[in-house]
Amino acid sequence: MSGKKRTRIYILTAVVLALIILLPHVLHNDYYMVVINRILINTIVVLGLNFITGLTGQMNLGTAGIYALGAYSSALFVSYTNLSPWLGLLVAILMGFIIGRALGYPSLRIRGVYLSLTTIGFAEVVRLLLANLADFTGGTTGLKNIPCYSIFGFYFNTQTRMYYLFVVMAAIAFFIAWRIVHSKWGRVFKSLRDNIDAVEMTGVDVANMKIRAFTIAAIYGTIGGAMYAHFMGYINPSTFTVDLSTNYVIMLMVGGLESVVGCLVGSAVVTGLPEILRFLGDYYQIVFNAVILLGAIFFPNGWLNLAVTGVKKLMYRMGIRTAESGGGK
Amino acid sequence: MGDFLKLTNVTKQFQGLVAVDNVNLDMKEHTIHSLIGPNGAGKTTTVNLITGVLSKTKGTVVFDGKDITNLPTHKVARCGIGRTFQNIKVFPTMTLLENIMVGGHQITKMGIVRSVFDIKGQRAEEKMVREKAEEILDRLGMYHLKDEYMKNLPYGRQKISEIGRAMMTDPKLILLDEPAAGLNPSERAELVKVIEKSHNEGYSFFLIEHNMDVVMKISDYITVLSFGKEIAQGKPEEIQKDPEVIRAYLGSAYLEQKKDQ
Amino acid sequence: MNTIILQLLVSGLAMGFIYALVGIEYTLIWNSTGLLNFSHDKLITLGAYIFGASMVLQYGLSKPLAILVTFVVMFLLGCLVALGIFNPLRNMRSNIFAVMGTIILGRIIAEFIRLYWGPVPFTVPDWLTGTFNFGGFIVTRANVIICGVSALVVITLQCFLTFTKTGKAMRCVAQNKKAATLMGINVSQNICITTGISAIICSTIGFLTIPLFTISTTMAATIGLKGFSAGVIGGFGYIPGVIVGGIFIGIVENLAVAVLPAVYKDVVSFALLILFLLVKPSGFLGKRA
Repeated sequence: MSGKKRTRIYILTAVVLALIILLPHVLHNDYYMVVINRILINTIVVLGLNFITGLTGQMNLGTAGIYALGAYSSALFVSYTNLSPWLGLLVAILMGFIIGRALGYPSLRIRGVYLSLTTIGFAEVVRLLLANLADFTGGTTGLKNIPCYSIFGFYFNTQTRMYYLFVVMAAIAFFIAWRIVHSKWGRVFKSLRDNIDAVEMTGVDVANMKIRAFTIAAIYGTIGGAMYAHFMGYINPSTFTVDLSTNYVIMLMVGGLESVVGCLVGSAVVTGLPEILRFLGDYYQIVFNAVILLGAIFFPNGWLNLAVTGVKKLMYRMGIRTAESGGGK
Repeated sequence: MGDFLKLTNVTKQFQGLVAVDNVNLDMKEHTIHSLIGPNGAGKTTTVNLITGVLSKTKGTVVFDGKDITNLPTHKVARCGIGRTFQNIKVFPTMTLLENIMVGGHQITKMGIVRSVFDIKGQRAEEKMVREKAEEILDRLGMYHLKDEYMKNLPYGRQKISEIGRAMMTDPKLILLDEPAAGLNPSERAELVKVIEKSHNEGYSFFLIEHNMDVVMKISDYITVLSFGKEIAQGKPEEIQKDPEVIRAYLGSAYLEQKKDQ
Repeated sequence: MNTIILQLLVSGLAMGFIYALVGIEYTLIWNSTGLLNFSHDKLITLGAYIFGASMVLQYGLSKPLAILVTFVVMFLLGCLVALGIFNPLRNMRSNIFAVMGTIILGRIIAEFIRLYWGPVPFTVPDWLTGTFNFGGFIVTRANVIICGVSALVVITLQCFLTFTKTGKAMRCVAQNKKAATLMGINVSQNICITTGISAIICSTIGFLTIPLFTISTTMAATIGLKGFSAGVIGGFGYIPGVIVGGIFIGIVENLAVAVLPAVYKDVVSFALLILFLLVKPSGFLGKRA
């Protein structure tokens, strides 16, 4: 690596870091900060979804159910025990692990479309139970007064404070996802999508491998859910619909499958777009979905693939990337 | 020292059809053993029975002194059997090197959590796998193509890459399911060279093949199947003269005609 | 007590027939395109809206005529969807786009319904209401008609698949598209007709469920999902299988109400789905998956 190139990378990193730190002070708008915080939470969920749907190619249509169980397990744990939300996060992670195993085992042991069928049913069952077991979950009125995260008496109770916390959490999630995708694990997950028989013949227990990918996805989903609960302070079953699950897959599609950076981009676009295109009013949903459908048919690599290729070219020209350093597609 | 690969009375019945009927086969280590037979003789089915892709109706399979009759495919592979496929099964969206490296997943030890946080250890392990893959590619004469995407490689190269992927698992035995099918003559010559070279390096091959040039040139021993039944066994020269085999391949009319002359 | 059980059995059987129809409708598309049509519940809803909101209430057509017009509209729509969306999607490398394509199509239909007919639920007056009295044993007219019509649909479809040329071609395409093409069957056209027929079955389900759920944008959401469970339980991709699976779910979940709190009624089919995946993934009648 040449010295000149290294300097450029340092400068770029410094600029990005400064932007991240200064963002709330530049925007000075709580509403935008809410949107940005939601983008950060969604990024974590999509990073997880990328493992099962983006890499191994198994459709997970039950992200809403996973997200809901994450949110409720953390919120209920905290409201019943009065312990720290950080312990709630641990409970949510445990919940994610259980979902991954319990739902992955029946549906991924056999080949076929069973994961999409069980996950979509699972999400619906979770929503129905959360709404109907009113004594335990608060029913359709939801759970109120969920405490925010705090460290040694410092409360993350404003949007800006939460923003800094979530940036750190998202960065950790991003780092872990990046490490997994760009290791032997990412490689074997991808190969499962391409040809499962061939992987099995190299001695890999493919069912177990798919269950692992799904478990990671579930853990990321429940972490996102827990963050959402303590960010909103109020949760209610009607949030966690099939539409929400679909939106997460759309985020993945928009960002481009299997790309870690794409997860961030997709989450930002899909979460932020309704705010930008507000002038469409009632017609927003139909226009947005039509655009995504046409994209799926005509640009199966994702709308943003074109943009990403453009950015890569630009970076190449600036001398930051060399031609052969491929990175994520 | 037990048996290397031994099939005893292996039978597979699909509803009414007996695809493989009481096949017995005994393969020695460090040989190239071929399984031949006309279309529909049950050759690929036999391979699928050995590797546990299909369940056996009857019979036992012993490999390296170990009963592998009822093991699932990935465990059969872990016992030291590698395999290539009749219709190539590669990972088209990955590079050639990555394709080979997938074969090395099982020989590595690190769990997910450790490979995330142990950055140095992960790098060392990855380097070990990459070097091994590169060495195999070098032996197969494809090192210069390592960064090409699989889908952009010619058919013949993709087929040979399957042998490389199998070699990554350090197999004692590699099953080749019609490796020469669909290859042009020069690719076929390349394939024969690769197999012979690997055989000299100590690999054992179980070969299913249609192409008689290839089979007769490289086999040490041949088993012939016809309609699921084993009709002959022996060295290539013996098989070439066996009337049963000629009848199965060319029809009995041909033999009659020959006798008349 | 016995009458209650009998009552539950009859309503279970009626629901079972609905699930069976849902199963048939998506299995037809699955067999011919390899796509799971996740927009099917929206097609059911659309059928009910076209029939109820437009044909009967807006244009005041007589009900049989309204049914006929709805069938024609839905058939054409099905053909359009097949040509414009299913055909390009089924050739995609990744099944993610195929699955998402059908889901997003469903969302577009739902949005269209909301924008065009409004979000307020309503019902069609005097449609399949009333009861029959069999010597003291009372059944709703809706349940009897559901069973009758569903049986009729199943028989008609079976005859169509067995005896007509188009039906035979549909079965060929389901078994082997390449061979079907070589035999001179136009696969795209075939998929078109299959999707059209599937859309007609969808609208039939729509008509039949109006008295049970009233017409609303989410009327078919749960039956759509339970139809998938029916497929797995009976044998995925196999029409007699989904019929058995559907009727099984319908009866079991209705009888479950007698023992379990009503909250769990909608959970039963999901529990059965998981149970079958664990114990018998090929379903009642399916061949090994």
